[in-house]
Amino acid sequence: MSEALVLGGAEETPLRDLASYRAVGGYAQLLKARAMPPQEVIALLIESNLRGRGGAFFPTGRKASFIPSPEKVAKPIYITVNADESEPGTFKDREIMLRVPHRLVEGCLIAAHAIQSNFVFIYIRGEYSTEYDVLQSAVDEANAAGLLGAVKILVHRGAGAYICGEETALLSSLEGERGQPRSKPPFPAIEGLYAAPTLINNVETITTIPVVLEVGPAEYAQIGAPPDSTGTRLFCLSGNVARPGVYELPHGLTTRHLIEDIGGGVPDGRSLKAVMMGGSSFPVMTPDDLDTKLDANSLGQKGYFIGSGVVCVLDDRTCMVQFALRVGQFYMHESCGKCTPCRVGTRWLVQMLRAVENGTASESDFDLALDVCDRIIGKCLCVLGDSDAMIVASCVTKFRDEFHAHLEHGGCPFGHDSSLDGLFAPSDQHAAHEVVV
Amino acid sequence: MSLADEIQKVARRYPESKSAILPALRLAQEEYGWLSREAIEEVGEALDLTPAYCMSVASFYDLFNFEPIGRHTIEVCTNVCCGLVNAQAVLESFERELDIAPGETTADGEITLRAVECLGGCSTPTIVAIDQRYRQSVTPEDVPAILEELRNV
Amino acid sequence: MTDLVRVTVDEREVHVPKGTGIVETALAAGIEIPVFCYEPRLGEGIGACRMCIVEIEGIPKLQTACTTTATDGMVVKTARTSKKASVGQNATLEFILVNHPLDCPVCDKGGECPLQDLTFRYGPGNTRMTFEKLTFEKPIPISPAISLDRERCILCYRCTRFSEDVSEDGQLVARNRGAMSVITTFEDEPYSGPFTGNVTELCPVGALLPTQYRFEARPWEIQNVPTVCGMCSVGCNVNATVREGKVKRILSRNHPEIDEGWICDKGRFAFSHTRAADRIVDPIKRVRMHGFEPVSWDDALDEAERLLRAAQGRVVVALSGSETVEQAYAMAKLVRVGTGSHEAMLPEEVTHSLDAYGLPLSAIRDAQVVVVLGDVSVAERAPIVDLWIKAARRNGARVLTELDDHAVRGADRAVLIWSGPGGRGGATVAAHAERLGLAGKEGCGAFYLPETPNGRGAADAWAAASDEEPAETESVGLLIVSGDEAANDPNVRALAEKAESVIAISMFHGLAAGWADLVLPGTSYLERDGTYVNLEGRLQRLRRSAMPPAPDELAWLSQLASRFGVELAPHAPMVFAELSERIYGGLAFGEVGERAPLRGYLGAPAHVEAPPLPEPEAATEGLQLVCYKPLFSGPAVERVDELQFQRPPAEVELARADAQARGIANGATVTVSHNGTSMQLRARIAKDLRKGIVRIAREHAGDLRGTVEVSA
Ligand SMILES: Cc1cc2nc3c(=O)[nH]c(=O)nc-3n(C[C@H](O)[C@H](O)[C@H](O)COP(=O)(O)O)c2cc1C
Ligand code: SF4
Ligand code: FES
Repeated sequence: MSEALVLGGAEETPLRDLASYRAVGGYAQLLKARAMPPQEVIALLIESNLRGRGGAFFPTGRKASFIPSPEKVAKPIYITVNADESEPGTFKDREIMLRVPHRLVEGCLIAAHAIQSNFVFIYIRGEYSTEYDVLQSAVDEANAAGLLGAVKILVHRGAGAYICGEETALLSSLEGERGQPRSKPPFPAIEGLYAAPTLINNVETITTIPVVLEVGPAEYAQIGAPPDSTGTRLFCLSGNVARPGVYELPHGLTTRHLIEDIGGGVPDGRSLKAVMMGGSSFPVMTPDDLDTKLDANSLGQKGYFIGSGVVCVLDDRTCMVQFALRVGQFYMHESCGKCTPCRVGTRWLVQMLRAVENGTASESDFDLALDVCDRIIGKCLCVLGDSDAMIVASCVTKFRDEFHAHLEHGGCPFGHDSSLDGLFAPSDQHAAHEVVV
Repeated sequence: MSLADEIQKVARRYPESKSAILPALRLAQEEYGWLSREAIEEVGEALDLTPAYCMSVASFYDLFNFEPIGRHTIEVCTNVCCGLVNAQAVLESFERELDIAPGETTADGEITLRAVECLGGCSTPTIVAIDQRYRQSVTPEDVPAILEELRNV
Repeated sequence: MTDLVRVTVDEREVHVPKGTGIVETALAAGIEIPVFCYEPRLGEGIGACRMCIVEIEGIPKLQTACTTTATDGMVVKTARTSKKASVGQNATLEFILVNHPLDCPVCDKGGECPLQDLTFRYGPGNTRMTFEKLTFEKPIPISPAISLDRERCILCYRCTRFSEDVSEDGQLVARNRGAMSVITTFEDEPYSGPFTGNVTELCPVGALLPTQYRFEARPWEIQNVPTVCGMCSVGCNVNATVREGKVKRILSRNHPEIDEGWICDKGRFAFSHTRAADRIVDPIKRVRMHGFEPVSWDDALDEAERLLRAAQGRVVVALSGSETVEQAYAMAKLVRVGTGSHEAMLPEEVTHSLDAYGLPLSAIRDAQVVVVLGDVSVAERAPIVDLWIKAARRNGARVLTELDDHAVRGADRAVLIWSGPGGRGGATVAAHAERLGLAGKEGCGAFYLPETPNGRGAADAWAAASDEEPAETESVGLLIVSGDEAANDPNVRALAEKAESVIAISMFHGLAAGWADLVLPGTSYLERDGTYVNLEGRLQRLRRSAMPPAPDELAWLSQLASRFGVELAPHAPMVFAELSERIYGGLAFGEVGERAPLRGYLGAPAHVEAPPLPEPEAATEGLQLVCYKPLFSGPAVERVDELQFQRPPAEVELARADAQARGIANGATVTVSHNGTSMQLRARIAKDLRKGIVRIAREHAGDLRGTVEVSA
């Protein structure tokens, strides 16, 4: 069996049109699913133990089972597919939409059948123009071919705001409000879009649904690192690595294997300093953990997260203070401004990191920074602030020597040799930009 | 079709018309190049929302312009993944060639240069969105040819 | 019965109805959970500020009390007993203070600021933030009445939620995101509308403040006098902030059945009319050669006595409807008992047939069907009623502008409201309510929105003073114009032309000058003790907040009355006591109450048959013009700089269908004509207007009347 399942058939050339997707057996799973009672489809998903690929790794079948049956609610039931992909280092959903858009559509239709929904929204990030065109034409084609049945699929374009990937912010945005998250509970499954039950899943998750049906749930559950990390995963390999790209691999291979064997290792005879693991929202990995397997449990034991499948390699030219600062600037820029700790904390952390980078901080500031991180984590409305605090805290803790060197040196010990030196950050949207690193 | 008609047509696809605010703002921006006071008022009128509300929503998102911008936009990803492999050199090359800083528009009103957050193309750095279409693996050396191409469009 | 659930808060057990918020649940247990963004009147909690953070057993992450509801067996630990929660709360305060300036000494909020109080109680003692704070230009006016200091703003979104979800004007919004978020209006346009001032009270810090109060007083120098607003018939409960005998500010004083703590901008900002430059402080008399000149009170009362006697029983009193019940009664007793004249021009029609359909205003919020008839915007006549109707709509009520019998009959709770001309003082809605069987049906009722604050009270007081009927007289010997609204009324002016002499009671120069023979200084509702009857029929207590610049009406009326052998006390409580025996069932002045209940008229008949509905008028050609008295109009408003921008523009409002039929676009200049007179006005398409009706503010309507034509 070829490893590619989600991207299966599209290894060489993308399957953009209906005919080419049909040629690899496309939409057969939809027919199969529609022949089953909805609950059975959910049961299959539960059996496969497919888990969310958007970052939180929540069991997909279980989430679908929270949706009340249509008889029990006076409102329509909605599906929103999260195609907002904006986590730094993540580019897999884009690959899916460009290469197997019909598989995503098929997944939407199977999910719609499973929870008896007639309305699917695909919230695609605003910057994805070509991806939007390709996806929209796949939807149109499927519609023309009568595959949608009673289901409506509406591709809704975002407008540039990372936070809209957070599920409740996505709902706010889709309802025509500022894309700010909402307090949970109520959870979207009970009160989501227009206060109606709503299933929210990541593009990769939804696209995996036809795969689960094709492979069979029991078999799917054997792939990867069962029982929890089943199936394959689209890993996003980038940074200082010879062969970056999206690699669909079963869960459970080691990080080292992905970086060195598949990705060709760190080029130019440099050495690996750290890995941005799972996305910029999670603690960075240090080289001593490279043998950790890429599955949720193995990573979790070491304090890492699989997130959205990001593996971004940082080589020894990277100043970790600059790295933390640039990531911090991203979160400051993307904080929605609704809750206090995130709105204020992300900016404060940037100020502190800048002081470290400039050599104007003092040793005690490191503990202050860690304490501020601590005061953000678990206190925010959503986890955007936590994400910032987690990665920043991991940099401070794991690279404290390097932070310290900035004090000794009265500035960046790398001089201008850090690979991130001089990196720009779009700080305030619609307003000034600043060179901060 | 007038902008208002177009907006209302899009709005009808949604269960509630307010949901069409982003597509509506996008349409208005396509029509005028940026969201002027009048453009926002038009969107508000078409969707039965106050201009203040429309402005509030629009200003939340990065893709809307509240000032006129160039005929073309160049957006260089400067998040860490591209930064690790020298996005700054690409940005600097654009700055040099255009003689403007990020966030600015050339004096002739042709090109607006921006630095933006991760565009989701980290495996082919540096990603540059030219008029909202991605160019992959852009190097500083590619910059003059890209500008040449744009100026001839 | 709602289910009760058992919740433990900091080891105290309480039983509350299921679904009660944790903030309220804790309060029931006697524990205060501090909040900033939470304000139940703005709707459900949004969990933005993170001040109310608590630990809930079984949930690893701290939760916000303002977004959590009580379930059975829930165990809540607030910052008092949970270390985690107290760290969280302290963190929130530290974050809030990171950018908050330390300008409390020069901040008008200082001393009555929730942020100051909570920082004192729960906050960090020192700051660990050593970097530059976010700075903004400050303060900037968001309207002539309100200024915004963005540096002080803690982004609790109370103000924007009020604008979006309560007043529904959608004008005050947040712009940008993240740390750069700011509160703003569109393109720096002034925040306008009937309710904007409420945001100055909602703001938990000194970010949104009334310009009138800037640097006017410090909390330890002021007193808040609980009284009732006298600007319209709602009678919102307010506190008048007084410093050195002067009113400096009006604040709401939540009466949950009347105003829910909201007041309109007229009620809030118009108080400064009491200090207008043209305020009359001495009696003035017309002198043949010199026009007017001030006279002593003795001379004034001599003159008044002379005029009253000279009229020989042919005195007519024109009331404003802004007199207190006591004042109206005193005037009535002087004129009716003292001079045997019984004729009054009442400011508006009054009917008792509506009494059987009385409800607290808050019942509107709970109605399923609300029918608003009469074609004048509710906000122009009785602004707070508009907020209740909006709340009803948000609760899912159908709000109709035409009477749909079927809808009313089918609803468990239906409310009829008359707002506009042709209501016959409420007799019209009363007749409909009767016809539709709303009598005695719980939650059902009808309201009439009068134009004056105490028209009902004044009329009842007038009636109570004597049982005699007015005699038929051809001529008017003396016209007494009681108050500026009456002085402003063209009908009163017309009568004054015919009267042999005129006494006017007026607050301002210029109103009665030129046509009155004697002008006596009038007082404002803020300067009086007494009672008002609001549109619900609720008797409420006014308290003197500021000293009037001259003796008040009761003082000199009692003196004048004694010259006619009429005994009249100079103080409101005594006048009330006398009157109360006659119409309020002997209720004592002191029992009217700080937060008056809706008593209904003691001893009043349970039901007075409503006069029959008039025959519907035959359909007319053209458009029916409705002229209305705008909220932001009248002698008081005209004297307040901060309210000038709120006065209605020269506009004609049309229904969309009528505008379309005539090819009229929103904002276009149009010609409105009637019988040869015509005017140019700007057209505005009003969503709430019925087809066939056009609306113009009285001050812009010129001589237009009846049916008009509007053309592009
Ligand atoms: C700040 C933030 C950004 C997020 N961005 C994305 C995103 O771009 N795409 C995505 O699928 N999930 C994103 N998520 C996760 C979603 O909230 C949600 O968990 C996910 O879409 C659920 O889908 P899944 O169960 O299929 O993973 C984000 C979460 C947070 C807190
Ligand atoms: S101005 Fe006041 S009410 Fe409005 S968000 Fe800021 S602090 Fe809250
Ligand atoms: S009061 Fe609960 S989060 Fe603000």
